[in-house]
Amino acid sequence: MQILLQLIVSGIAVGMIYAVIAFGYQLTFATSKTLNFGQGEALMLGALVGLSVVPFTGYWLMLPIVLVFGLMQGSVVETLGVRQAIKTKSEAGWIMATIALGIIFQNLAENIWGRDDLRFPSPLPESPISVGGVNVLPMEVLVVVGALAMMLAVELFNRRSIYGKAVVATSNDRDAAGLMGINTGVVITFSYALSSMAAAFAGVLVAPVTLTGATMGSALGLKAFAVAIIGGLSSGLGVVVGGLILGITETMTGFYVSTGYKDVPGLILLLLVLSFKPSGLFGKATIKKV
Amino acid sequence: MILRKIALAFAVTTALSGAAYAADTIKIGLSGPFTGGSSSMGVSMRDGAKLAIEEINKAGGVLGKKLEVVERDDEGKNEVGVQVAQELINKEQVTATVGFINTGVALASQRFYQEAEIPVMNNVATGSIITQQFAPPKEKANYVFRTSANDTIQSAMIVDEAITRQGFKKPAILADSTNYGQLGREDLEKALAAKGVKAVATEKFNIKDTDMTAQLLRAKEAGADVILTYGIGPELAQIANGMAKLGWKVPLVGSWTLSMASYIDNAGPNGDGALMPQTFIQVPNTPKRKAFIEAYQKAYNIERMPSPVSAAQGYDSVYLLAAAIKQAGGTDGKKIREALENLKEKVEGVVTVYDRPYTAADHEAISANIPVFGLVKGGKVVPAHPEDIAGDKAVRFKPKAS
Repeated sequence: MQILLQLIVSGIAVGMIYAVIAFGYQLTFATSKTLNFGQGEALMLGALVGLSVVPFTGYWLMLPIVLVFGLMQGSVVETLGVRQAIKTKSEAGWIMATIALGIIFQNLAENIWGRDDLRFPSPLPESPISVGGVNVLPMEVLVVVGALAMMLAVELFNRRSIYGKAVVATSNDRDAAGLMGINTGVVITFSYALSSMAAAFAGVLVAPVTLTGATMGSALGLKAFAVAIIGGLSSGLGVVVGGLILGITETMTGFYVSTGYKDVPGLILLLLVLSFKPSGLFGKATIKKV
Repeated sequence: MILRKIALAFAVTTALSGAAYAADTIKIGLSGPFTGGSSSMGVSMRDGAKLAIEEINKAGGVLGKKLEVVERDDEGKNEVGVQVAQELINKEQVTATVGFINTGVALASQRFYQEAEIPVMNNVATGSIITQQFAPPKEKANYVFRTSANDTIQSAMIVDEAITRQGFKKPAILADSTNYGQLGREDLEKALAAKGVKAVATEKFNIKDTDMTAQLLRAKEAGADVILTYGIGPELAQIANGMAKLGWKVPLVGSWTLSMASYIDNAGPNGDGALMPQTFIQVPNTPKRKAFIEAYQKAYNIERMPSPVSAAQGYDSVYLLAAAIKQAGGTDGKKIREALENLKEKVEGVVTVYDRPYTAADHEAISANIPVFGLVKGGKVVPAHPEDIAGDKAVRFKPKAS
């Protein structure tokens, strides 16, 4: 029982890391039906910028700086990579462009911070908390709480503020929103900024638990993509549940089946979801009008 | 007519200057990852090798010529390594090459040296198969040499230390899913079987895995009292951190990569106590080692070498090569290989004193008795058993071939 609980707790911690990155995919998909395939790199840049700023400001003061950096980085990605593709209604242009930008960011980071994995100082004590024999790191708790808080904040913003309503309106029907006087171009840029901000925040959140380095984003970004597909790209709740499912199946399979097959059930689930419910477990089925 | 004369004169002068240029220096290729996960080893190896080249040049070079290093970043990637090998051989026309950190890169690249009959010194890569790839009778002559302790030696040492010396009974193996990890795991299993011990758990992890809970819980549930590792720095650090998280601590004994800076730095205090075979530990216990450490610290302005083993083996590989070129009396690859296989000069290196390190059949300079165990303590690697390198055991020699 104790082992099962430990596996679930560790699975949740890993799953929330995936979920918070997947949340970024979901933000841009909602407004523009495009994704930033450089999401993992946005996370990596956030973490590395955070690492460089931390010695001057400490962990908590570093957060707003990283959030602003994320906003700017997202706008850059949208301006350079996505805007043109949307304008010309290109089906694949944004895929290539965001992947290319991701590679450029990774190379940039390698040149600035080197390619070794670095240690990110933990703002919380590094000794585990033990509850009934189940151990968890304080930082893992912070990852879960921080991720949930951030998603909640973004959701509240979308539902309550006038700007958020513009975002929601654009995601519901871009053309209609445009006719209502909403500058949908700005909304899309904003959603990209928001999504990279989420990723950058995720970066500094997970960095003390994972390791920090130019290549930290690629593996996490891919897993998060699977989570976004499983949970559904149109649902905020979906990515949380998807993340938890993937995280917990990974640790459970690792323990009860074999650590060599740890990643397999998650991928099988991904295939099952794609065959039976392509819009994801929590996604709204949409009919594409041609 | 005049034009033709000018052209001819031009051709002659360029040919002459080319020849004069070639006669001035002996080009040594150097291939290693200076970026990427194994860059701490690659950079240390390069810096060690360049230190040796500088010293040799200061003392007048080899055969009256200066050594010139042509260094290329293979990024630890097989396909880049192949490109580098071809460039060094065909464009730079190197006399010999030193390098290779990654077993995969070595195996992919060295066939070009073998075909071109140019000697290549593996100074860090440890895969047991490296020196066997072109060993006779498969090929007439083998151009691949090594100055590192191979995985057969290391795995036997790891098992010996954990089971015989420390008396652990229930080892668990944690190895990464790369060639390095899985070949190492096989070697470990063989070495355990030779002692009649079976691992209670054999677990796998991927590069960039951040959570080791499942692997560690399996080892814990199986009652493991020691963990034997084959992986590289960052993931090994996650194992140490994962144990701290689970509040379960058993000793880590593993391949030499437990001495990587990326393990020591990322694991922090959790990483203390890890044991690994080392051909060289940053301890100035002989005059040669003292001079080497001081020269390295001065040249690169650092206190702790990122990877002392790689630096020392890189340094020694250049001295062995220089001795062979001197004995061969020229830059002919075939003669240098023959000289390496029958080296008359005793070469005093950092790791050991090389007295006929190679024969036609044996291309391993490091024998099982040379490495000693290092221990991670306070962010540094220190000798695990100081008595092993005390007194006349400071320098350990390869036994004479009978």
